[in-house]
Amino acid sequence: MYFRCKNCGANVIYSPEKHGMYCPYCDSEGSDERAEGQTGELTICPTCGGEVEVGEHTAATQCPYCSSFLIFNERVEGKYAPGMMIPFQMGKEKCKQSLREKFRKCRFAPTDFLSEARLNGMQGIYVPYWFYDYKTACRFQGEGTKIRVWRSGDKEYTETSVYAIQRDMDIDFEKIPVDASIQMPDDVMELIAPFQYGQIVDFKPEFMSGFYAEKYNMDWDEVENRARALMQEDAGKLLKQSYAGYNTVRTLREDISVRDSRIAYGLLPVWKYIYRYKEQDYPFYVNGQTGKIVGTAPFSGTKFLAYAGTLWACLTMVLALLQILLGLI
Amino acid sequence: MEERHSMDEGNSIEENFKKVARRQYLHFFRFWFIAIGILALACVIMKIAQKDVPRANHEAPAERVYDYADVLTDSEEEDLREYIARMEKRHHIDIVLVTISQSVEGRAAMEQYGLRSTDWEQNMQDLADDFWDENKYGYNKGFEGDGVLLLHNWYEGQNGEHLSTSGSVEREFSLHDIDQVLYAVDDYYATDPYRAYRAYVKEVCERMDGSLSLPFSWGFVILVPILVTLVYAISGASQKKAENTVAVNAYVADGRPEIQGSEDALLRKNVVTRRIETSSAGGRSGGGHSGGGGHHTSSGGASHGGGSHRH
Repeated sequence: MYFRCKNCGANVIYSPEKHGMYCPYCDSEGSDERAEGQTGELTICPTCGGEVEVGEHTAATQCPYCSSFLIFNERVEGKYAPGMMIPFQMGKEKCKQSLREKFRKCRFAPTDFLSEARLNGMQGIYVPYWFYDYKTACRFQGEGTKIRVWRSGDKEYTETSVYAIQRDMDIDFEKIPVDASIQMPDDVMELIAPFQYGQIVDFKPEFMSGFYAEKYNMDWDEVENRARALMQEDAGKLLKQSYAGYNTVRTLREDISVRDSRIAYGLLPVWKYIYRYKEQDYPFYVNGQTGKIVGTAPFSGTKFLAYAGTLWACLTMVLALLQILLGLI
Repeated sequence: MEERHSMDEGNSIEENFKKVARRQYLHFFRFWFIAIGILALACVIMKIAQKDVPRANHEAPAERVYDYADVLTDSEEEDLREYIARMEKRHHIDIVLVTISQSVEGRAAMEQYGLRSTDWEQNMQDLADDFWDENKYGYNKGFEGDGVLLLHNWYEGQNGEHLSTSGSVEREFSLHDIDQVLYAVDDYYATDPYRAYRAYVKEVCERMDGSLSLPFSWGFVILVPILVTLVYAISGASQKKAENTVAVNAYVADGRPEIQGSEDALLRKNVVTRRIETSSAGGRSGGGHSGGGGHHTSSGGASHGGGSHRH
């Protein structure tokens, strides 16, 4: 499917800034109508008839000839139908601005690193995620000591009290996100979190127009260990918080058991910018909702030598000339 | 054909980025380059405009080294004369050295040499000032002219120096400066008098140079740019990496767990007592003293500054 402008027939896209559908050709807002591909073929652009290269897991892409954004029905419907999504809240221009701001102080990054030409290659991608809900029962038993020290006269008193600690709490974890994409690096997807769930909406294909997307390509049971590990870690920390205040604690028993669990599938927005420098890729990922950036700026040795060397030479010359000048006065 | 067109386009973009890089570089250092240009120009102008100050006093003798105590070899005396001549031309002051070996203390010396006092310091001062005045020393004029004279008495038991300053040197030198010059002589006179007198000339000239308010040394010129460049390089090369900002309760319903049970039962308690060791400590304070002296007028009526060190 794709979305066509009722007024001019061009491709309508979702605009994060306008929070609605927008035709970049005739500036119409809300003029979209859904259109299906004429041939039904996945690889033929319904707008221009050009052949579109479609990846194995691609759910939405852009036609390289007419720039129309195409959404592949069978990859967003049926078993691939997302139950929820967070639409992009941050447009490309704002994302470029954030990247420039974040790496403003990286003086030795290559000149074209944040250039308009390079940043235009940035892609907005809806990344497939599994969301895990866990209802857990957490128990803790341990022995804690509290130490109190005071002075009276010329004597110091140290009182050591030993307590039996017992905690019993229910923790309901909701929507622990784990990306269901082979392509997306797991560590980066963890760093790019958190997403603000207050903006979760039901899935609508309109939100995908103007962006790339993948269908899930890792099953929920393949990646669940990551969700469980996070749940165990957070539950352990919450238990620990509950007995804070002791000087030392010895654990006798800790038990975190899952009573009930649910899984949901959804899409989350991520901007991706790949900068290539000296045969190496430098990927940058930006949370399409909060703007959090993950990535390391490249380092140009030539620029470093040129700038640091010139600064050193300039400073030395200025001071030397000042020295000479003052001697002449 | 299409591939070639795409390659040309790629090369053109790269060329464009190189141009941008050059522009950014020049823009970044524009003030530095301008500052260097202005300073270089100012140096050239100052050098051209700088006029040699000719010696105005022609009454004084050409001799600067009077080694009556005979502590220097002839070649050492010659070296000193050359060194003094060079420094005089640069700093526009007369620099005189007089060594003697005669008693200047006590009644016998007073009567024998017609001194006005029995005091060593007073007599050293009088001798130095009178030598200067009688020979009409001074770079710019023969009375209260610019310059300095070191009188070193090698007489056994009365070894010491007096520095007599006049004109611009008198105005510029504080008591501290006079002391520092004399200390420079003190450091070497016992082992190498020639080195001690070179140190005298050098110290006087450096102090006259300092009075021209040069704010930093050449070491500073070398060191500071290195330090600044290091700070610049480190701050520009470092970058903050993304951190995990997911709160521990980010995925917990309502943000907190539901407590079902919580118990803290006291099992046992014990108290340990310890006697506190006390110790007292005292302090001592030391003090210093500062010496004083001042400007004075010589028997010839000229104003002099100066100070003495007796060993």
